Amino acid sequence: MNWSNFIYFAFASLTLWIVGLILLYRIKSLSVGKIFIFAGILLFSVFIAGLWIGQGHPPLRTIGETRLWYSLFIIIVGFFTYLHWEYKWLMGYSILVSAVFIFVNLLKPEIHTTNLMPALRSIWFVPHVTVYILSYAMLGAATIAAFAAMRELRSNTRLIPLVDNLVYIGFGFLMMGMLMGAIWAKEAWGDYWSWDPKEVWAFITATAYLIYIHSRLRGYPLKYNLWLLPVAFILLMITWIGVNYLPAAQGSIHIY
Amino acid sequence: MVGEGKRKRTIAIEEAVVTTAVVIAGLALQFTLGSFDKAFLAFPVNIIALAALATLLFIKKGKLLTRLSSGSLSVILLTLVLLITLYMGLVPGNKTKISWPFVLIYLMTLINLTAVISLHLKEFSGKRIPFLLNHLGVLILLFAAGLGSADKSRYFMRVNEGAVEWRAEQSGANAQDGLKELPVAISLKNFEIDEYPPKLAIIERSTGEALPKGRALFIPAQESNLAIIDRWSVRVDSIKYLPRYAPAAFVTVESLHNSDTMRGWVSCGNHFQRHKTLDINDNLCVAMTFPEPKSYSSDVIVYTQSGKQRSGTIKVNSPLTVGSWKIYQHSYDTQMGRDSLWSRFELVYDPWFIPALIGIIMMIAGAISLFWKGGAR
Ligand code: HEM
Repeated sequence: MNWSNFIYFAFASLTLWIVGLILLYRIKSLSVGKIFIFAGILLFSVFIAGLWIGQGHPPLRTIGETRLWYSLFIIIVGFFTYLHWEYKWLMGYSILVSAVFIFVNLLKPEIHTTNLMPALRSIWFVPHVTVYILSYAMLGAATIAAFAAMRELRSNTRLIPLVDNLVYIGFGFLMMGMLMGAIWAKEAWGDYWSWDPKEVWAFITATAYLIYIHSRLRGYPLKYNLWLLPVAFILLMITWIGVNYLPAAQGSIHIY
Repeated sequence: MVGEGKRKRTIAIEEAVVTTAVVIAGLALQFTLGSFDKAFLAFPVNIIALAALATLLFIKKGKLLTRLSSGSLSVILLTLVLLITLYMGLVPGNKTKISWPFVLIYLMTLINLTAVISLHLKEFSGKRIPFLLNHLGVLILLFAAGLGSADKSRYFMRVNEGAVEWRAEQSGANAQDGLKELPVAISLKNFEIDEYPPKLAIIERSTGEALPKGRALFIPAQESNLAIIDRWSVRVDSIKYLPRYAPAAFVTVESLHNSDTMRGWVSCGNHFQRHKTLDINDNLCVAMTFPEPKSYSSDVIVYTQSGKQRSGTIKVNSPLTVGSWKIYQHSYDTQMGRDSLWSRFELVYDPWFIPALIGIIMMIAGAISLFWKGGAR
């Protein structure tokens, strides 16, 4: 399988997800909608697995390929959070974000299949990148939930536990991604931390979420605390996508 | 509870004043003395600092410990760390990581962390294990990566096939020139490269661009590979690898519009032999790219001063560990490619790596505890 098959899988999966979402809203029995969404997840995963086999290495090297995983993980996160907390809007939001990333990949595919350079042939490569993308998906969901929570802050705080949960889980994945990256860097480059631009920004992002976690524990006013999440998410997006465009980042060892 | 809130707030102001004073002192030092000299922290200074920090774990619970462990102080310190690292990430070519304000805030963070851990240890129970994994883990890692890294050193060593070498040049920021004898020696038994197949493309001579323009197509030079590039079909009839010679492919090119057919050898060339292209017309030809390395490795025996001996294979991503040394495959003679007669290693000495790794593993366990417990309290 290769990228030219993507369009069919993408549209089929998106259709399953959207139909599933409509069913969740329209029909009393929710299980049909859930089955549709699950089927879409399965189909999308089949494409990724096929691409992996077709290329002979995991599709994790280019920005386009990481977007592919993000499209999948945001749906999985949305789906499981929906199953647990029953927020249909979160499911809908996940599908929207996933669709955006799918369309970016269709219109601007930065997906040139290239050979994997020796330093990337490591057992840490796959867990490092997938865990990071999983955490981006969680923290993206946390940001949206934070906006929703801000809107109803005057009347109630029922969304706060959801926000905190998403931040804790997302931050847990973020730390795991960073720490596995450190072990890998020691194996590949001789140093577990070298303040490479991408590392600097990963550090900034992690610090921003630590500030949120600790200022929540202190009980500072929610009004201000919740604003930390969109700010932290902007820093996260800079880490992920923006770093390569920064003047301070010329000569980074990270290729995406 | 109103009184409680007021007291909390005045304490936060105290902490803000103290940290501001520290930052100003840091800036003053920066402008008078220049950047912090990290070598100052090298053994034994870092061990003494470690002992000083450790005493915080044993002092009695009281005013001092409560103040040092303040949660508001943590938030302020983390915010300052965020601002300083933002500067680091935005301004090109800065030396923020060895600036006085950053070093002082880093030290304050270590003290704050140690104090809060000290408090939690005094009331230890199973419920505090997640807290301790996260905070003791991050403390150990920050210490090893900060003060510990002053003991680190890196060297490059070039070893010829069949020879033994113990001299190396220093690498890194403040490296001194010249070769230095190290307490480890490397004997290179064999160096080997595994390559991806080279690729073929149709090149426009006048511009050097590969066709189709803008979305160049490269096909791997493997037997019976066939591809349509622009208006031609390109087939690889056979491929030949000979020792010392560059890879060569016998290629057939057929026009899709008329009966033009070209056949011939194409090779990327190497130090021993010129490259060869196959002309399609005045402006177009088939050319081969240099093969990209898939992996390269060195079979070595490492000797230490104390008479120990270890043999193994060193590859990219797979260093050889001997005591506090790790030996990495760095490079080889790229002009000679697969015939390289030497291999260059990077040797990294870091006695604090094991503590750092312990911190990292504790933090991974701590991260898992975050999933488990979640943030809802
Ligand atoms: C990996 C990094 C970290 C994680 C995951 C983390 C997480 C947490 C969590 C979950 C708690 C609440 C613990 C409980 O009540 O059981 C906590 C408390 C605390 N943390 Fe951290 N933390 C981290 C790093 C830090 C750092 C770097 C500092 C110091 C600058 C710090 C200072 C504190 C303090 C002072 C408390 C007590 C908070 C209070 O009661 O207000 N933590 N942390």
